[in-house]
Amino acid sequence: MRTFRQVLPLGLAMAALLLIFSFWAPNFLNPQNMLDLVQQISVNAILAFGMTLVILIGGIDLSVGALLALVGTTTVYVLRRGPSEQQNLLWLAVALLAGLGVAAAFGVFNGLCAAKTKMPPFIITLAMMLVARGAALRFNEGRPMHIPDQQTVFLALGNGRLFGAVPIPVIVMLTLFAVVAVLLHRTRFGQHLYAIGGNREAARFTGIPIVRNEIIVYLICSVLAGLAGMIHTSQLYSAEPASGVMFELNAIAAAVVGGTSFTGGRANMAGTLIGAVIIGILDKGLNQAGVHFSLQYIVKGMVILTAVYIDVRRRSATSG
Amino acid sequence: MASPAGDKTQLLTFRGVTKRFGGVTALDNVDFDLRYGEIHALLGENGAGKSTLIKVLGGIHIPDSGTIRIAGEPADIRGVADANNYGIRIIHQELCLVPNLSIAENIYLGKEPAGPAGLHRRKMAADAQALITDLGLYEISSVGTLISQLSVAHQQLVEIARALSCQARILVLDEPTSSLSEAETEALFVTLRRLRSQGVGIIYISHRLEEVMRLADRITVLRDGRSMGTQYTHQLNQRELIRWMVGRDIKEHFHRPVSRIGQAALKVHNLSSPTVRGVSFELHYGEILGLAGLIGSGRTELARALFGIDPVRQGQIYVDGQIVSIDCPNEALNNGIVLVPEDRKQQGLVMFQSVGFNLVLPWVRYWISACLPNHRKRSQIIDRAIKDFSIRVADPEQSIDSLSGGNQQKVLVGRWMERRPKVLILDEPTRGVDVGAREEMFAIIGSLVESDMAVLFISSDLSEVLHTCHRVALYHEGRIVSTFRAEDITEEQIMEQLTGAKAGENL
Repeated sequence: MRTFRQVLPLGLAMAALLLIFSFWAPNFLNPQNMLDLVQQISVNAILAFGMTLVILIGGIDLSVGALLALVGTTTVYVLRRGPSEQQNLLWLAVALLAGLGVAAAFGVFNGLCAAKTKMPPFIITLAMMLVARGAALRFNEGRPMHIPDQQTVFLALGNGRLFGAVPIPVIVMLTLFAVVAVLLHRTRFGQHLYAIGGNREAARFTGIPIVRNEIIVYLICSVLAGLAGMIHTSQLYSAEPASGVMFELNAIAAAVVGGTSFTGGRANMAGTLIGAVIIGILDKGLNQAGVHFSLQYIVKGMVILTAVYIDVRRRSATSG
Repeated sequence: MASPAGDKTQLLTFRGVTKRFGGVTALDNVDFDLRYGEIHALLGENGAGKSTLIKVLGGIHIPDSGTIRIAGEPADIRGVADANNYGIRIIHQELCLVPNLSIAENIYLGKEPAGPAGLHRRKMAADAQALITDLGLYEISSVGTLISQLSVAHQQLVEIARALSCQARILVLDEPTSSLSEAETEALFVTLRRLRSQGVGIIYISHRLEEVMRLADRITVLRDGRSMGTQYTHQLNQRELIRWMVGRDIKEHFHRPVSRIGQAALKVHNLSSPTVRGVSFELHYGEILGLAGLIGSGRTELARALFGIDPVRQGQIYVDGQIVSIDCPNEALNNGIVLVPEDRKQQGLVMFQSVGFNLVLPWVRYWISACLPNHRKRSQIIDRAIKDFSIRVADPEQSIDSLSGGNQQKVLVGRWMERRPKVLILDEPTRGVDVGAREEMFAIIGSLVESDMAVLFISSDLSEVLHTCHRVALYHEGRIVSTFRAEDITEEQIMEQLTGAKAGENL
């Protein structure tokens, strides 16, 4: 009930945007276009799920965009070293695990630094963003690596459609949404995150293991970035070491528009999902309405600012 | 302007100043005078209203009623800037200097002499040097020295220099000697006496009565937010002063719970943490042991060590005679030790969450297994706590911010009771709650003890400690100095021991 009340204004904002663009951009609301929209937002939405958890506990992760590129390149690099030119599912699993392993390593490192040292997460993950970007650019001298056409399964991850209609990335995204939402809203872990983000000291004084929870949060965020990286790479038909620039900022924007409080302690996954959809509608709608891309940035910036301003006002009104 | 009350010989007068916070009256119709060229000590127990009075003077709190006059003129102090304009300078117990700036830069912070060409650094340095020399800070070679390189005593003097740099007429010092050595204290006194001879009015707050006796011209005592009057120091001896400070009519609204004192629930042997220096004591089932000490004596740190927040360096903790090792709060919980921390908002509650969220926080594992929350179980836990501790809420899902201090405190105690602890540590449980809630809190503590819980009770309110606890341990600088049965000691005696008064003065 409470979640519903929190998400309702966001839903209305989303509906209003859809309405605006249905007049402004011809055929915006037709089903095919809407499917394209959800497909396009899936990468950002997956990043935003992880980002929401990190911001909820009062942190930030700037490394997800670069990590996305690194995981993509690592996976494709391993994939191309397979025993044969033909697709080999076992080797595909090895490649995916290699990619996720890299992601997990970054996540644990970020989490350890954030929990065990006094370094601010902003700086830790800024540094790790550079490390991940540099590592990605080590592959193939920084040039894109093509995914061989025989790798049908990996290519389907980004481009396939279930029953010829629903894009696979959307299915992955919604599955991850369900997993993370359950994790946040229905488990002890989730309750503990609200407590840590709301008042770290109080959480400590009730015996909540802060270090462990914090590491897990950064781990989840990085692994989700890894999965998003695989989808993104598959969608591009090649691993591009220079891809994913500014993705972390889009993910932060989705989380914040979705009602995640930057001071920590407040977030809900449905809000983040809608936040990602709103950012996606803006991107696609402005594009189809023929707005010059320079103006698109400005409009997006103003929308984010407005959304957060309204949210802050509403909260200060309710909590007196 | 020329009202008949405008007495020109008084630098500062308070008449009938009252300040309330919610239901708590922090200052109740207080009169106070400060003359030109006087050192006036302001005394009282913790929570007597000294700091509220200072904050009213400094423009941090605005009084609800009463008048303040400065040099005979009515003064309307509505903010810190107003206080500055009246020449009021307050030196707080915690220093407010910027460690990575120089002495000169700190003295002129916020009022740097500057022109179109930028800061007048040379003028700043010369003026600062003059002030520093005036204060007798000869050992400091250069005003370019960074604050972080100075001793605390010298930092204190820099604060005073800062106050003087803008012609302070009224100087307030809050516990200025708490971190000073004897020699440094003497040097500070020399400076204060010189300022007095220059006509500055000085309000001096200290727990060290001996110092007050030596330094102050007059003394005003506050008790429970009321002024107990003003006397000349030379008309008092230290023993009379102590009586005057604590000697209230003993109110019988605290009653010591009658309980069967059982075996030792908690035994601590030679416990040391970074700030606890070898503490040993026993706490029995059905007993309340009070820890009396001055603010900053390290009682909170003992509680933190017992609850696994601060690392234990040395020593043993026994629960029910079994040695236990407690290195995190979870361990403490598993061994039946719980803590209600001193700072409700910082350490206790998750403020913008609901009452229910806060009540079930330690017991999340009781109502969520895997990813199946059992909301009925959750409501049961919450409802039981709300009922058992008569927490006044309209709806358990209402925000915790909307509760009164007393009810928030009940949430903090109540939330530990889902699985009954053996040892309950309460750190200043009645701070900032009104009289009614205080009595309720005592009733709760009483019923817990009567049902055999062991309670370690930390409070700065001596009469509270004396009238609720079975035994009282006097805590001083990280150690238990002595332990008494509560019937065998008086507030005066405790105060005397804690303020380090000479024992010989026929008690």
